Amino acid sequence: MFIDQTSRRNFINRLGWGVFLSTIGGIMVASIRLLAPNVLYELPKEFKVGYPKDYPEGVHFIPARRIFVLRENNRFRAVSAVCTHLGCTMRWSEQDLAWKCPCHGSVFNEKGGVIKGPATRPLPWYDISVSLDGQLLVDLNKDVSPDHSVVVNV
Amino acid sequence: MTEEDTTTSPRNRFARSILREKIPVSRWVTNRILGLGAINFYLFALLTITGTLLMVYYVPSTTQAYNDIKDLGTTVSFGSIVRNMHRWSAFLMIISGFLHMSRVFFTAEYREPREFNWLVGLFLFLMILGMAYTGYTLPWDQKSYWGLTIMSQILEAIPGIGSKLQYLVLGGTEVGQNTLTRSFVMHVKLLPLLMSMLMAVHFWRIWKDDHITLTFAGEDHTESPNQLEQPSVTWRYILTRETSKFLLVLLFVLVFSILFNAPLEEQANPMVTPDPVKAPWFFVGLQEVLSWGAPFWTGIVAPLLAIVAVAVIPYFDHGREGIGVWFHPSRRLSNVLFTAAVTIFIGLIIVGEFMRGPGWIFYWPWQHWSVN
Ligand code: FES
Repeated sequence: MFIDQTSRRNFINRLGWGVFLSTIGGIMVASIRLLAPNVLYELPKEFKVGYPKDYPEGVHFIPARRIFVLRENNRFRAVSAVCTHLGCTMRWSEQDLAWKCPCHGSVFNEKGGVIKGPATRPLPWYDISVSLDGQLLVDLNKDVSPDHSVVVNV
Repeated sequence: MTEEDTTTSPRNRFARSILREKIPVSRWVTNRILGLGAINFYLFALLTITGTLLMVYYVPSTTQAYNDIKDLGTTVSFGSIVRNMHRWSAFLMIISGFLHMSRVFFTAEYREPREFNWLVGLFLFLMILGMAYTGYTLPWDQKSYWGLTIMSQILEAIPGIGSKLQYLVLGGTEVGQNTLTRSFVMHVKLLPLLMSMLMAVHFWRIWKDDHITLTFAGEDHTESPNQLEQPSVTWRYILTRETSKFLLVLLFVLVFSILFNAPLEEQANPMVTPDPVKAPWFFVGLQEVLSWGAPFWTGIVAPLLAIVAVAVIPYFDHGREGIGVWFHPSRRLSNVLFTAAVTIFIGLIIVGEFMRGPGWIFYWPWQHWSVN
């Protein structure tokens, strides 16, 4: 009888702790999960950047999407304008043929390789193609090599 | 009415017993001439009041926030003064918090039994920085936007959980409305709440540690500067002193806010990073360090090491000599090291703020660089 009572009390005690901890723990996990949104109202990763004929030779900044579109003769390429160090938007220097970051001074060469730190990773190049309506189409989901280009006869 | 009548009337009894009676307080309280800790508390009060006033107009929206801050400076009566007061009190709080910690270090008052309170103080200081940082993000100008961008990229460099954490802080994959909302919640709710609680602990420990040191002194019968004195001062004296101090702080901030306007940069623009883009002055030293190498080392490991180094000071220093004395000779080495560390920090800030031009290239302060 006595033993029965203690073990019952023990059981209830444990049950109480179990309910308490799992409730608090569950609520905490749920609260943290709540912080991560499931639906994002961000810009699509695949988008059009206009007609090839509107791009003269050279490097062109697409401000709205923070990329550069490059044209050499009939070859078009797309590269990120976001510094791989900590995410500032870079500028193209025609003088030095390099991308320069204003935040901590990283410099990238024409191929997107790091010339000067603190950045360590090269700039990502993005897949570029021609969509059905003749506009250039950039896909940020697809990383490609610096030589990847689309040839358009304009 | 006779003498007796006035002294026994309830009001006077209150005044006698509470305000006029000499109370035993430790020298820690009576000798505080500067009282930087109390000044921090007054600034916190000022920030709470001015912050509440600002919240009446401010809407944390990426399209509206910038204009609200503009309006506060132009169309709202006294709006600019309140905003200036909020900003300058915050700056002052960083400085007085730092001076408060330095004072505690140079007088060796972090030692046992006050190690824990040193830690609490350190966390409070980090929270002051957190408040200042989140406060900077709210106007949604260029400094806000690029500050958030860089901070979130540093988070990403944390091994393992980095990108998940970044997703939570940004509320997405890029700096946007979710990020601003989160920053706002931190600034007006989470951090002030945590700070108030920690401040209560901080004050309680001051009182408690005083009593512990008294017991120490009683045990080994040594003369200790910590022991409670004979009743010497009245509450009235302390209240008068502290109220005057509060008034001085208030007047200082007020006059400063009338004379100097809080700056506002151009509206946040993801397409253009200003060249050079500078972090707020209290983070520009970190920005300088960030320019030296990989964010994992410069943005996470280095700051963490600095914080840990400050946190463990009381657990390494077990000396009993020189407590409560400025620059005690037996502590020359510690004082030199501390001063050196502080000098390096301030030096980093000066280099970042005044010697870095476009592209974060080194310039002497007298060299000119053109803004492009
Ligand atoms: S973000 Fe470009 S160098 Fe740091």
